[in-house]
Amino acid sequence: MNEPTRAKRTTGNFYSQGIVVAIALAVLTAVEYYVALTIDWTSILMLLALIKAVLVVNYFMHIKSVWTEEESH
Amino acid sequence: MSAIAIGQKPDHAHTAGSHADSPAAYAEHVRRSRLGMWLFFASESFLFLGLLVARFYLWRGDAGEIVRPALDQQIGLIVTAVLLLSSYFMNRSEVAIAHGDRRNFMSGLLITALLGTIFLVGVVVFEWGLFPSLVEGHLKPTDGVFGAVVFGMTGMHALHVLSGVVLILNIWWLGRKGHFSAERHWGVEAVAIYWHYVDLVWIFLYPAIYLIGHAYGAH
Repeated sequence: MNEPTRAKRTTGNFYSQGIVVAIALAVLTAVEYYVALTIDWTSILMLLALIKAVLVVNYFMHIKSVWTEEESH
Repeated sequence: MSAIAIGQKPDHAHTAGSHADSPAAYAEHVRRSRLGMWLFFASESFLFLGLLVARFYLWRGDAGEIVRPALDQQIGLIVTAVLLLSSYFMNRSEVAIAHGDRRNFMSGLLITALLGTIFLVGVVVFEWGLFPSLVEGHLKPTDGVFGAVVFGMTGMHALHVLSGVVLILNIWWLGRKGHFSAERHWGVEAVAIYWHYVDLVWIFLYPAIYLIGHAYGAH
């Protein structure tokens, strides 16, 4: 069996989560920018920042791995 | 950063009989180091929370409304996009080493370091105007509460970005020499979560500096 090929195929599946999170962060940033320039609503801007923070902490920083045994990649 | 320094050693310590050779001992070591990193982030967050409190307390208009300095929105948006993109490549690099894909691991690190450097240049050259012959900055540190707080926030954050770039290049250099594997890569994980923490801080600094409140003095 070709091990490197198998490893690469498996890794490709894991990369997709990062892509989805990155797209979500980009969209939220664009919404943030639009909200600031149009309706300028502080609470909405803070909420958007909080949603982005949750995404980063959960998916990029793997906070769950602090209290769970399995890898969260 | 002691958690990272401690974390790197077992990634390439394969001496027979060494304590870190046991997978169970290594897993326990990583678990403790992760907790150490998060405690470090918790202590660091007080620093940035203090700066955010200063921003919301001091940046007030004549009627007490929340205001912000009139900064270049395009620069703010571009550097934010660059930092978010760098977080994606750091995550990609970490996932790559966790699955034995060394090519994407190494390239991801270099792209992250490059994007981090672009972010620094964006802030230091275009926002601060460190080289006035090239670009005039929008504020000076002596420009009252706006200048003091903007330079305090962006300066402290830029220092973290700079240290993150140095750590990423360190990991890249070790990776070039064959360190880290799918089984043992705590050093990579530690630097990755540090980099994401730097991104996390900017997620709050960006709206606080550029977006929230009316631009003071603007019509």
